[in-house]
Amino acid sequence: MDALAPSATCHSDIVVELSNVWKVYRQVQRAGRLRDIIRGLIHPQVRRVEALRGISLRIRRGEIVAYAGPNGAGKSTTIKLLTGLLAPDAGRIRVLGMDPIRDRIPYVQRIGVVFGQRTELWWDHSVAASFEWKRVVWNIPSERYHRTLGFLREILGLDDFYQTLARELSLGQRMRAELGLALLHEPELLFLDEPTIGLDVLAKRQILGFIQQLNRERRVTVVVTSHDMDDLERLAGRIVLIHRGSIAFDGDFARLRRALGDRRHLLIETITDHPPRLEGAVWLHSQNGRHEYVFDAAAVSIAALLDQAAAQTRILDVETHRVPIDDVIATLYQRWQTPPSQSIDAARTVPEQERADPSA
Amino acid sequence: MAGKPMGKTLRTILRHWRLFAWMDLVWITRQPGFFLTYFVSDMLLALGTIATTFLLAARFEGIGPWSEPRVVFMLGYALLVRAVQDMFFGFNVAIISRRIGRGQLDHVLIQPHPVWLTLLTEGFVPFSGAMALIPGAALVLWAARQLALHPAALWLGLAAINLLASCAITLAFSFLWGSVAYWAPRAAEEISSAAMSIMREISPFPLDGLGPIWLGGLLTALPTGFVAWYPCRALLGIDPAPYAPVVTPLAAVLLSGLAAIVFYRGLMHYGRVGSQRYLSFGHRR
Repeated sequence: MDALAPSATCHSDIVVELSNVWKVYRQVQRAGRLRDIIRGLIHPQVRRVEALRGISLRIRRGEIVAYAGPNGAGKSTTIKLLTGLLAPDAGRIRVLGMDPIRDRIPYVQRIGVVFGQRTELWWDHSVAASFEWKRVVWNIPSERYHRTLGFLREILGLDDFYQTLARELSLGQRMRAELGLALLHEPELLFLDEPTIGLDVLAKRQILGFIQQLNRERRVTVVVTSHDMDDLERLAGRIVLIHRGSIAFDGDFARLRRALGDRRHLLIETITDHPPRLEGAVWLHSQNGRHEYVFDAAAVSIAALLDQAAAQTRILDVETHRVPIDDVIATLYQRWQTPPSQSIDAARTVPEQERADPSA
Repeated sequence: MAGKPMGKTLRTILRHWRLFAWMDLVWITRQPGFFLTYFVSDMLLALGTIATTFLLAARFEGIGPWSEPRVVFMLGYALLVRAVQDMFFGFNVAIISRRIGRGQLDHVLIQPHPVWLTLLTEGFVPFSGAMALIPGAALVLWAARQLALHPAALWLGLAAINLLASCAITLAFSFLWGSVAYWAPRAAEEISSAAMSIMREISPFPLDGLGPIWLGGLLTALPTGFVAWYPCRALLGIDPAPYAPVVTPLAAVLLSGLAAIVFYRGLMHYGRVGSQRYLSFGHRR
């Protein structure tokens, strides 16, 4: 396992601090047979699900942190804990120096929340009406409201649909309006739970660009969850990977790639159809004299591989590229599904589907 | 209200009510045709709920100690109770089990106000919720004229307090049962709806002549007697006891207190387990 959260940030200007936080759910098990159903009425079978297992995490002001993990890993639970919608069973949570549950009212004045699969907009009202609702309920002073609104309308391009009913917005427009609404009271900390879900490439790019600009210009701290690792890599400087309720990785994306093995693909075109045997690389497939390999750049250099190939055949062309982060993470999740390989170290090796014998 | 002066809280409530009244008005004026249909049909529905009692009273020239105008007064009062609830607790605030069961309390919890304040203000729909107001007021005024009531300020004050108390009892009953949804979100999602329905359906009937067990039940376990029958008995002098006009307000205080305790216990549970399901419809229009 790579470096864990407590050591990942310095202690100054910490805005989010989770210390040994546990969250356990109880799930009543449903029986299929009549005998078990009757027994379950008297003695229900309860399964204990440890959603979070003593996680510790610190986030510094101005950071954009990607919070990722497979389904059921504990991402949503963490976001709910951080937004004060859920209380931890054990451990301590301090955000902006406050307890999200006990200090709920002053706390929610200082945070913004966007749930990609929920809406804060008033469905049968215009976007403008929802913004007015926010102004009144959050009691935003008029001058500040108009200043922020002007900024948000411009940067998010809200003018095109500002008077449109929320239910008539496209998904991309809705998400821009949601973001605007969440930021209207100028929160210091923004929680984004799958903000790009279902968006097309352009809408996604706009949302990500906006979040980066907001972070850069206003130093808003952002915690974002998503299953789209490419988005996260584009957006966040730091990734926290959670698996089965524990933090499995905390660091930057480059370090994650290194930790998983800096896997790269090598495509060599030779004059023969037979693929050269390369020590340190795994052959994937060949077609019309083009041979594809995967290798760990941290363990073997491209030059060494090309030397080997050149010694066996004549090389016509060479291409190399990094494995997309989605593939890297997919490999990791796949490893996690097969115990006991549950650590980053265990995922260093080349995945099963990429193993092949060149001589086969 | 902890730490917040009462004046400031009151101003917040009024500010929110003004906002929601404006939003309601905007909604109505956006689709006036649709609203008119909705208004008329709901008004007819409201009148339908009192039709049986009215027809019985008309046929038999009253019911027990209730003369025809007295029955009409009670029916008008029941409609006014309904109107106040509909106007102040729309968007499933009154049918709270839907909000709980659908995981929509999350939206309340991320607002910077006490939960009670948000629930008190967020459902304010004074225009679209007013369909029972006109027939209710008309029936009460007509009955008052027939009964030659010349109410003093004290009587009017007591009537207003009893009206609010009757609303509070219905709402408390809905919240009491609705809190079950904290523990059984799916199974109890509609429980408040059922609780409100049963309160509304029985409320227009005079309960005089029922045995003590039935009557006790309808004033405690299912306190529908306080929605119209008992307060009207007190206000019209059918019950001559001097304390009669304060019984309904006292019952409202007790039941509201109980509902508040159960609701907040449920809220604590919600904080521990969170919402296990989420449905977006119904809490905002």
